[in-house]
Amino acid sequence: MSHRLAIEFTVSATILALSLPVFAQTPAPAGASTSGAAVRPAPRWPDGRISFTGPPGEIGNWDGRPGSTLANNLGEGVIDVFEFNLPTNLNIDRVPFQPWAREAYYERQKNFTKDDPHTRCKPSGGPRMFHTPYGFEVLDLVDEVIFVSVGAPHSWRVVHMDGREHPANLEPTWFGHSVGRWEGDTLVIDTVGFNDKFWMTREGMPHTTALHTIERISRPDFNTLRYEVTIDDPGAYTQTWSGGWFIPWVPGNEPFDYLCQENNLDAARMVGPRK
Amino acid sequence: MLLSDMRKALAVLWTSSTILIAAPASAHHSFRAQYDPDQPITVTGVVTKIDWMNPHVYFYIDVKNETTGAVENWGFEMGPPHMLQQRGWKRNSMQIGDELQVDGTRARDGSLTANARRVMLTATGQVLGAASSEGQTITTGQPQ
Repeated sequence: MSHRLAIEFTVSATILALSLPVFAQTPAPAGASTSGAAVRPAPRWPDGRISFTGPPGEIGNWDGRPGSTLANNLGEGVIDVFEFNLPTNLNIDRVPFQPWAREAYYERQKNFTKDDPHTRCKPSGGPRMFHTPYGFEVLDLVDEVIFVSVGAPHSWRVVHMDGREHPANLEPTWFGHSVGRWEGDTLVIDTVGFNDKFWMTREGMPHTTALHTIERISRPDFNTLRYEVTIDDPGAYTQTWSGGWFIPWVPGNEPFDYLCQENNLDAARMVGPRK
Repeated sequence: MLLSDMRKALAVLWTSSTILIAAPASAHHSFRAQYDPDQPITVTGVVTKIDWMNPHVYFYIDVKNETTGAVENWGFEMGPPHMLQQRGWKRNSMQIGDELQVDGTRARDGSLTANARRVMLTATGQVLGAASSEGQTITTGQPQ
């Protein structure tokens, strides 16, 4: 973030603090957290742009829950909590896997995901960051949006919002190269250049270096982040498909010191279903 | 060393209104890949080592094997340090030499390791949840 933008951001935050409440009064769309209580609108910056953080004085962050995932799976032992997922999610048998990818997915289920790279403290690329334990924060710095993940190896991901395009001949990386734009209140992120060293989701959705994602992130109400991603990966899927989940705002949650590598004894002990 | 199912059932019944129920904790790994839900254990032993480190706090206790008479050193996994602090743990909640009764789930690999679900300081009866990643409630409360 440039010095000028840092000043603008600080000024904006100060104005926001002095002008609370500056909430929109538009009703939340269907699918948001509407458990009968009055729905609190999402906060906004002074310029009207929606905020994915807490207003000044309200600490909290987003905690994607285990069980939220891209495609509904009723398989035995699978942690899949349907009410966390988007109502439009496919059932697992409708996901357009390439044959090898279907085999890899079910093999991972059969083995209780014992080989999950995340358990070896690898970064949570793609959708995985949005349901990695211990939550994440979203820093909107105008020219870039940064996602800070508390769990795994305490990593972060940058989304360029300055209009640039993807570079040619990217070297594959854990988070790829992301460019974003706002479509109304929805942050739309286009990412390419992933490596294939991580699992896209906690339960082991496979992908290849051909993966291209388009993520659509919105905040239908104060307590809900809606995450949806379109998967375009001809190496692993026969056609594009989409899925996502709702992520709750957890008041009082803060990033904490967490480095998975410090004393990770789990890798050698993940033996799977053998008795 | 291992208590009977009846004793475990009684232990559940002993839980009183002083106990707070919290949600199961998240974890960075699949619980079932490492621990066997069909092998619940309850052991009593003396603390020999405590590692307050990420991604999981581990403590080790000497436990007398009631069958062989040998003393075995068991290792127990709990949640990350920060989550335990949220559950009421302090750095001095457990100290080397303390005697504990621990409920947990044994590792699948046959080693003397387990995931701790409930820790009781036998001297005071104080119960502390272990921020277990197992899909069940965690108990934290006062002496019972």
